[in-house]
Amino acid sequence: MRHLRLIATLAVAAAAGTGAGIGVASAAGDPVWVVSQQGAELARVEAGTVAGRIPLGPAPVAAAADRAGRLYLTHPDGRAVTVVAPGEPPRRLPVPGQAFGLAVSPDGARLYVGDWSGDRVLRICAATGAVEGAAAVGRDPAHLVLDRRGRLYVADRESRQVSVIDTGTMARVAVVPTGEAPFALALAPDEASLYVANVRSGDLTVIDTATLRARATVPAGRMPYGVAVTGDGSRILVTNQHAAAVTVIDAARLEIVATVAVGPYPEGIAVAGPRAYVANWFSDDVSVIDLATWRETARIKVAEGPRTVLAVGEPAR
Amino acid sequence: MRMPLALVPALVPALVPALAVLGLAGAALAHGPTPQKIDQSITIQAPPDAVWKVVGDFGGIGRWHPDVARAEASGGNVEGTTRRVTLKAGGTLVEGLDEWLADGRTYSYRMSDPDLKALPVSSYSATLTVTPDGTGSKVSWIGRFYRGDTGNEPPENLSDEAGRAAMNRYFADGLKGLKAAVEGRTTH
Repeated sequence: MRHLRLIATLAVAAAAGTGAGIGVASAAGDPVWVVSQQGAELARVEAGTVAGRIPLGPAPVAAAADRAGRLYLTHPDGRAVTVVAPGEPPRRLPVPGQAFGLAVSPDGARLYVGDWSGDRVLRICAATGAVEGAAAVGRDPAHLVLDRRGRLYVADRESRQVSVIDTGTMARVAVVPTGEAPFALALAPDEASLYVANVRSGDLTVIDTATLRARATVPAGRMPYGVAVTGDGSRILVTNQHAAAVTVIDAARLEIVATVAVGPYPEGIAVAGPRAYVANWFSDDVSVIDLATWRETARIKVAEGPRTVLAVGEPAR
Repeated sequence: MRMPLALVPALVPALVPALAVLGLAGAALAHGPTPQKIDQSITIQAPPDAVWKVVGDFGGIGRWHPDVARAEASGGNVEGTTRRVTLKAGGTLVEGLDEWLADGRTYSYRMSDPDLKALPVSSYSATLTVTPDGTGSKVSWIGRFYRGDTGNEPPENLSDEAGRAAMNRYFADGLKGLKAAVEGRTTH
């Protein structure tokens, strides 16, 4: 397997915010990884087809990648994280909690794992699995995203807020109110804004990361379950689980400018080069969206229950 | 085990005593980490419009679903309408209409308040659609739900398996009842 580098694709699963180069994607698009929960499989999608499959333990959900191309996946019901390193068999790290949301430090040393029913985030040493620290957050922490300076944002789903954690001290430094049932997060490429998809209120909260206040909350379609940002930061893509669609929001005006039909119950979404990839949870496939025409151009079959898409870049040059 | 009182949002205060009394770990409106799929369909020997006339009325589920004792809706077939569906076996489902499209002969709804006595699940959403199928129709009823206890060690009666069994039975019974109602036979 090649050495992979994460680019600023800001997948729904909180791709650790290691966003290095932006807009360096090849014309062919980048490889993306798709996590199927029921099918317990990680699929590598490349050039419009499934180029590889890695079987996993039961019910994986969220995924993150480090700079070296290692992938990390959570198993909430299995109390574990799986580490998939290039050329090595998957490694299981036990987690003392219902591991759901996940982020990883760029060097792969530290994992940040949300404990869904424990209402906390754990900092775990990726090498040993040791729990190094924990931070209390709101109820039912969903997805997490880590920024480049080491601040962790946590969508506290049943507390209508985002918790902000200093990963150095594991202290919660702020709580920012959002819409109802915040679930997925994505940082803008410049990290000035954090976008929060609110499932029940059907909107998107935009948090100013300098002031840690909500700048706006705008309509985002029915049941937003995933969010991603284009490489140039100009468009925010939100999956609408109850509308089998992706709404496209102009990041400057914060208005819906397009709606793209995809498969039923779409969830995770990631941008890779000139395309976006959407996990259609119900139909067990991935929609490919052409970002120039804002149309679905292909469906790629994957294992049952895809929930997360993670984009990775071409090898570093 | 999680405390039910703390889980119940302010918008469903009526639920608090019931959950507290039962001592259930299930979370009101909680979406656990492991969604489950329901995917059922049936073919009916009648044109789509005739089927839609029966099944399309959101508040009229009691006229075709054999497990339903009675149903009442807060309004017409528009987004925001709520229906209360009381089951013959006990328990009441409170469901909100999210979308209703006569042109597409489809409607989508989701559970408002969980009632683990009615169905052992903590939340669900579903879509019912009528499409042409040869000279007749196909009715698909699909959905996504979360087990009754979204924690890591659910009791057997609130597990993924229990939820799947109950939801599949409820959907299958409904589709069989609908077919019988439209084709002019009685159920069972």
